Amino acid sequence: MATYFIRRMFWLFPVLLTVSLVTFIIMRSAPGGPWDTDSDRRQVDASTRKSLDAYYGLDKPLWRQFTAYVFGDINSVTKKFSCGMICGNLGPSYRQRGRTVQSILFSAPPLQSFWQSRFGYSLRLGLIALSFAIVLGIPIGVVAALKQNTLWDYIGLFIATSGISVPSFVLAIFLIIIFGSWLHWIDIIVDNWNEVKYWLMPATVLGFGTMAYTARLTRSSMLEVMRQDYVRTARSKGLAERIVIIKHMLKNALIPVVTILGPALAGLVTGSFIIETMFSFPGMGRAYVQAIGQRDYSMIMGTTMVYALLVAVANLSVDLVYVFIDPRIRFEE
Amino acid sequence: MAVKTSQTNEIESERDIFRSSKSLGAEAWARLIKNKAAVAGLIIIILFAFMAVFASVIVPENPLQINDGKRFLPPPFFKGSTNIQSDPRFLLGTDSLGRDVLSRVIYGSRVSMVVGFFPTFIILLMGTTIGMIAGYAGGRVDNILMRLTDVIYAFPDLLFFIIVMVALRDSFIGQLANGLILLFAALAIVNWVGVARLIRGQVLSLKQKEFVEAAHCIGATDFRIMFRHILPNSLSPLIVNMAFSIPGLIIFEAILGYLGVGLRPSSNPADIFITSWGSLMLDGQSAINAQPFLLLSPAICVALIVLAFTFLGDGLRDALDPRMRGTQ
Amino acid sequence: MRKLFAILSLLVVASMALAACGGGTPAATDAPAPAATDAPAPTAVRENVLRINLGTYPDVIDPQKSSYVNEIAHLKLFYEGLTKFNDKLETVPGAAESWAYNADATQLTFTLRSGLLYSDGSPLNAKRFEYAIKRNIDPATAGEYASITDEILNAPEWRAQLSPTCAAVAAAQTAYDAAKAASDAAPTDTALAEATTAAADALSAATCTEEEIAAIAASVGVKATHADGADCVVNADTGNAYDDADCNTLVLSLSKPAPYFHTIMGIWVAFPAKEENIADGGDIWWTSPVYQVGNGPFVWSIGEPFVRGIFTPNANYWGDKPSYDLEYRYIVDSAVAFEAYKNGELDIIASAAEDLPTIQADPNLSAQHMQYAGACTTLIKFGLAAKYTAPDGTTYDSPFLDKKVREAFALAFDAEGWTKDVDGGLSAATWTWIPPGFPGYDANSPLHFDPEAGKAALAASSYGGPDALNALGLKLTFGDSPRNRQRSEWIVAKYKEYLGVDIALDPIDATTFTAITKDPATFPLFARQGWCADYPDQQNWLSVYWRSDTTFAQRQGYVNTEMDALLAQADVELDPAKRADLYAQAQQLLLADIPSAFGYNSLNHYLVQPWVKGIVTTPQDSDWPGSFSVATITIDTMMP
Repeated sequence: MATYFIRRMFWLFPVLLTVSLVTFIIMRSAPGGPWDTDSDRRQVDASTRKSLDAYYGLDKPLWRQFTAYVFGDINSVTKKFSCGMICGNLGPSYRQRGRTVQSILFSAPPLQSFWQSRFGYSLRLGLIALSFAIVLGIPIGVVAALKQNTLWDYIGLFIATSGISVPSFVLAIFLIIIFGSWLHWIDIIVDNWNEVKYWLMPATVLGFGTMAYTARLTRSSMLEVMRQDYVRTARSKGLAERIVIIKHMLKNALIPVVTILGPALAGLVTGSFIIETMFSFPGMGRAYVQAIGQRDYSMIMGTTMVYALLVAVANLSVDLVYVFIDPRIRFEE
Repeated sequence: MAVKTSQTNEIESERDIFRSSKSLGAEAWARLIKNKAAVAGLIIIILFAFMAVFASVIVPENPLQINDGKRFLPPPFFKGSTNIQSDPRFLLGTDSLGRDVLSRVIYGSRVSMVVGFFPTFIILLMGTTIGMIAGYAGGRVDNILMRLTDVIYAFPDLLFFIIVMVALRDSFIGQLANGLILLFAALAIVNWVGVARLIRGQVLSLKQKEFVEAAHCIGATDFRIMFRHILPNSLSPLIVNMAFSIPGLIIFEAILGYLGVGLRPSSNPADIFITSWGSLMLDGQSAINAQPFLLLSPAICVALIVLAFTFLGDGLRDALDPRMRGTQ
Repeated sequence: MRKLFAILSLLVVASMALAACGGGTPAATDAPAPAATDAPAPTAVRENVLRINLGTYPDVIDPQKSSYVNEIAHLKLFYEGLTKFNDKLETVPGAAESWAYNADATQLTFTLRSGLLYSDGSPLNAKRFEYAIKRNIDPATAGEYASITDEILNAPEWRAQLSPTCAAVAAAQTAYDAAKAASDAAPTDTALAEATTAAADALSAATCTEEEIAAIAASVGVKATHADGADCVVNADTGNAYDDADCNTLVLSLSKPAPYFHTIMGIWVAFPAKEENIADGGDIWWTSPVYQVGNGPFVWSIGEPFVRGIFTPNANYWGDKPSYDLEYRYIVDSAVAFEAYKNGELDIIASAAEDLPTIQADPNLSAQHMQYAGACTTLIKFGLAAKYTAPDGTTYDSPFLDKKVREAFALAFDAEGWTKDVDGGLSAATWTWIPPGFPGYDANSPLHFDPEAGKAALAASSYGGPDALNALGLKLTFGDSPRNRQRSEWIVAKYKEYLGVDIALDPIDATTFTAITKDPATFPLFARQGWCADYPDQQNWLSVYWRSDTTFAQRQGYVNTEMDALLAQADVELDPAKRADLYAQAQQLLLADIPSAFGYNSLNHYLVQPWVKGIVTTPQDSDWPGSFSVATITIDTMMP
């Protein structure tokens, strides 16, 4: 197992390199550039554009810009070598002038902890949304399967259906109107993200789809497992019902659920663009979407790499959890 | 605690190989139409499909007709937060340009059904094949294929859509069906990875089971084991995935529109694809105070489709389950 | 089952802990400092804070690098330029108490108020403004608005790091001139023609040496002096002249007559950010309220990115000080902001077209709704220079090269209908270029909405009617968003209705749209574009936008030599009345030439809570109403 784990860790490098190369190619083939501000205002003129290009190295050939980003290059203005992505340097943001991508994503405002950085906020929201999805989704799925075709099953189905057929931008505004405007339970404008109550709505909206998916997957694989011999055997042995459910049924039913939850975490951390917009949440999802619109190249690269790393690590953990859930699964050949 | 479905063991199901495959379909169909929920789901889907195909005949109004001075009319049965008088011509009211919401919802079913269906089909096909191969072959093949999925997972989808839509919008494929074909291809390329990993996870677990060993022993080919033994046993997550993928894609199409890379809207009433539920919902979200039905009507339609697919999917799963063979 | 519950409850507890992470850190929870003046009476029901929704969080808050409304909305709270604008958008004294031009308007001299202080108590003299203006020009700053001060002597040369006076450039120029003369004398000689091309290449490759660039930088026409013209005294301890109280005169030497230049000195590019703070804070100095020490009416006290910014009155401000604290919020979604406003959680928000019916139906909300002229004009510009592709693959020249076609499309644009049905009354139809409220507004226009005349014009054109145009497969390209979709759908439907012309909708990603409009070769057939004033002057509307050597006219392919000549004359005219008249003539020439369908002016439209009083509006309030006269606003803290 340990060798497998180490081998997988080594695989991170080619995966990340491929992602960065592919991203670089599509990013640079999109029309427009970082200095193309919208056309209802004064435009960046040619000589300013030239100095900006020189400063950020955009006047170099494309392959060199890529290697400069990944490995590093000598800055033509400051004449100093700056190490690239392999040293953890995600480059300077072209739009948020003066800031580096890693400081935008990972540095908190002065006097605050890492958890107050944009990545920290997103990570927290993603984890909460994921636990919401697990805490509600799995029990709903289990109950729905055990009580198949009863009222409980239909309630579960109703929740799951609303979870997927209502887009998050709609769910968000509904919740805001209900809990903010009608019931006055919470303020719409959040003064302080350190208060737990403000996290409930964004986390619910963000995790709702995943929760619904988890519930339906749990239900269907529970139904599958319930028909297996070993479950019958366990029951006939006279084992207590809850032990049968947890040890024999749920554990075996979890494979598909675990498979989706790994990447779902990565998606929940970075893919909360709409939730961040609706709840004015200071996370990193908006940074990514905005960067694409603004063609902020290093920001696009940086956020993509962070996401790629999250996905790769999440999928690795999933594979490890497989072995834990089902000891028969072997990865060594 | 009783498990209602009858149980047969895997050895029994192994015997199925020797039965004729023709009876599989017929038997499954017989079981499917006995399932009331599944039949209801099927009927809803057929109704929506009918609505999509005959949209041009059943719409009460021209969905592109801009009615000056009639923006955000509420439906006749609803008193909204505005003072605007409703007009009985517009059963679900009008949108921000005074177009009939009902007609637009009916037309929207075309794009949304198609966007939900076709990419899902491609996604399932690609994802299942790759996931099966990776899980079954294991080792190096598994590693390479799964690292590929890691790459595609981490792929900046949105950028990819922008590039594809921009680079190919004037090409032949970009013009085909208002850009829909291009959209399908792009959606399928970035979305098959989830299915692939799901199936691979199932296969990893299933291939160690006794019935697979048994099949090996009786000399079944790998291909046969994969598609006749492992696949039917992995159906349930696939079906859930399908039921989720369809609304997911319908909504994703809306979000693409929000970000500026969605489907091309049409100005020509003769066009097949005019608008989508997704873009109606987007319009409706900002107008939630003035005309809530702009949002509610497409949202309800999506919910109905999801329910229908969930019922049908569950029914299909039960009908196709090898352990349910021979039971009625 | 117990184990499962244990795991589940652990997850719940962990979530709560995550949400509360870092809760103990001080900066996030500190309450804003109370307003410096007017402590609220004991019975006050609300805090003396003006809460404004600004929308998108700024990318950069640096006076010499910012360029967006939301960025400038921050800067103008804690800085003030040499001049500023009053509620009629007239240029009035700001940090400078007076200014004067020399006889031919090539030199502008500002005299600063005496005793000006920064919010931290340090003195503010003319040297600070010299630094700020030079920092704006400096190519190392590379601000997006650097070109706005190009009238200053040697500023464009310094920015481009290139000047004809540099030895290498001058030599290359001489060589080129000689080669050109030789080849012009013998037009058939290919060798000479090649030599000319080579000389032209050499000229464009010629550069200045670093010493020459340093000399250009040193000769840029910005200089702070004493009132008598003596140099400012450098303090031996600090190595700068920032504490010389007599250094109160700023002399700007201009490369050509520019009688409007004092107006430019009122905008954010000349805001006096402190050199030592920029040096101490490094590249990210602007992110911290600690380094943003300014001379404006407010002090930036708390900045929580994406959450809020809090601003308190500046006790050292020379003029009337505001009586309240100000808080910016960054809510992007208009529906959410509207809910928050109805809940009384925000004092000022921009109203959205979709919410207008709801506002009008509610007597309270409609009383709180302000709607007045704005600072932008949006047009449907006709692409003139690019080639377009027909469905059969052939390319064709723009049909708009035919003036009758332009006339037809302009006449058939129902601007009134647009403002009513598309913008829900949140814009105003216009048939002219400079919007009302700005110097140079002239309601006269040769064109008005008249679909019948439009149809006749199309019939009289070289195309003879809609059929020939329809064969070309016209396309309306636009940056996609739900809003732009509705707009474009309306335009297309109306042109079909009034002219019988079929136009296909062609949505593309917004940035791609901007990119294609920047290249004359790809400029779309129709481009809905506009201009929002940088500063209130006719020069900014006409010479900056329509003169054929400007980027905007070049992209569209628009050339009007007659108007160019008038504008060139107006730009250097010193007599205000004569100048205004020249600009008025130029505008009429522009309108008569129909480079676009004139469309609509933006309206500023805001919801303001009844307890916010004393708002004085201007057309340029694109950030929030009253932002040009913050001192007159008061908050009735007693009102429930």
